Amino acid sequence: MLKIENIYKSFGGILALNGVSFSVESNTITGLIGPNGSGKSTLFNVISGFYTKDRGEIYFKGKSIEGTEPYRIAMLGVGRTFQISEVPEKMTVLENLLLAPKRQIGEGIFNVFLHPLKIKAENEKYLKNAYEILELVQLYNLRNEYAENLSGGQRKLLSLGRILMSEPTLLLLDEPTAGVNPTLIKDLIIAIRNLRDEKGETILLVEHNMKVISQICDRVIVLDFGKKIAEGTPEEIQKNEKVLEAYLSGSPKRKAFHEDS
Amino acid sequence: MGLVNFLVYLAIMMGIYGILSLSLNLQYGFTGLANFGQVAFFCLGAYTSTIIVLVFKMPFFFGLLGAMVVAGFFGYIISVPTANLREDYWAIATLAAAEVVRIFFLNEDWVVGGGPYQGGSFGIGGIPQPLRSLFSASTYPFFYLAIVLVCLFATYIVINAITRAPFGRVIKSIRTEDNLPQVLGKNVKRFRMKVMAIGGSFGGMAGCLWAHYHGFVSPNQFLPLETFIIWAMVIVGGKANNKGAILGAVIILIFYNSTRFLKDYLPIEEVTLASLRMVAIGILIVAAMLFMKEGLLKEKKPIY
Repeated sequence: MLKIENIYKSFGGILALNGVSFSVESNTITGLIGPNGSGKSTLFNVISGFYTKDRGEIYFKGKSIEGTEPYRIAMLGVGRTFQISEVPEKMTVLENLLLAPKRQIGEGIFNVFLHPLKIKAENEKYLKNAYEILELVQLYNLRNEYAENLSGGQRKLLSLGRILMSEPTLLLLDEPTAGVNPTLIKDLIIAIRNLRDEKGETILLVEHNMKVISQICDRVIVLDFGKKIAEGTPEEIQKNEKVLEAYLSGSPKRKAFHEDS
Repeated sequence: MGLVNFLVYLAIMMGIYGILSLSLNLQYGFTGLANFGQVAFFCLGAYTSTIIVLVFKMPFFFGLLGAMVVAGFFGYIISVPTANLREDYWAIATLAAAEVVRIFFLNEDWVVGGGPYQGGSFGIGGIPQPLRSLFSASTYPFFYLAIVLVCLFATYIVINAITRAPFGRVIKSIRTEDNLPQVLGKNVKRFRMKVMAIGGSFGGMAGCLWAHYHGFVSPNQFLPLETFIIWAMVIVGGKANNKGAILGAVIILIFYNSTRFLKDYLPIEEVTLASLRMVAIGILIVAAMLFMKEGLLKEKKPIY
């Protein structure tokens, strides 16, 4: 589904991605973990087209997505959420969801006047979809609230719901459970699993909550200092020495880094 | 009769500025495009229609159509290089574009080609009024008012329809920032260009109506000041509310024209009063921004 080959990206003197390669198989959930500053978000931004990579190749469904604009990559079927959930001003929760579906007839100016009935039918279809998703992310009662009034956790849920409305084939989730209450996290885990098992989605997610990772991920990729240091099943990763070192700051190299800074 | 004539004049101006305000509201209120050059569309519409009707001797309807096409096209092309600019830079770029248009008409007199009409800084006079011969001097303003109101109504219908449609949702989502709509596959740049084209063509419509009403156009009628009067209408009336945009035009024009009557009651010279009205409009904008951020009519929240 997604193949990443030897990606390099630097900002000034900082090498954020230092030759990362891995692939994501379709119909799986892959976790992307690593300490802060290890390059996870940069990698997301490179895949979704917000950053241009310095070197390397990204293949989506076997095709290179070299130098493509973010909206085109989204149109190809790569959906993503942001770590800090962005919400447009003065749009209700429900409007946010209705905004998401791609290629809506009503997005064309002339269609507004030429095909009013088609647009109405389309709207009703998406409205039905949206209600289902609102139940899933537990925002149904807030559907007519402006999204800017939601809490951080609720915004996370909204952005998940919104990207689901756009029906991507590959879903990049940037910390979907950060700031969400534990009971709801359980529901989200079930929901994300269902996406894989029932809808056949492929998901790549950045997550710090190891419980979530071990419960839903088929594979885990660990980044540190812009490099992939480990890859495997959650069980394998939890026993991997390199990973423990990276997280516990045990390695001499990291110690030196911390003493310097 | 004098008062009736004045009220008809005022209503015609309200209609024309209502169209301009609806157009700016689409650009700024709904899409977040801070267009400081709205007067450029107004100017282009006025001149285009004048040239089509006066030089090419075509009927008013073609002048109106031409004004909308030319101003809409201008809106489209100025948004090509600027579509990725941030709000403040966008404001500067559009302000400059409007001045370019005005100065172009100030310096070019070939537009009327050495005929009986003067161009350039002298302006162009003798612009015919549509179907003038069918009416008497006293009834014609009512007919023209009807034309203006039909145009205003059409503008309202079109802008209201597109802002309520899924198109409206997309432009509202690009108002704050670009990342989210892009992730949802929306071509933000194209949507901005479309908005500028529609906004431009309605601005051109207003310009055409203005030129044929006054029968005279000149570059100094299209100073940047006009743009800010239209801005005042949108801000006072209510951002992203189409009825608010029209209400704003009505209020600002009442305010603007009230000085004619105030001169009888205030011990201030008429000339000073005329200058003071701009100060008053400035104060109105600031007051609206401080105490009534959303304007008189708030943005509508679609409830399901």
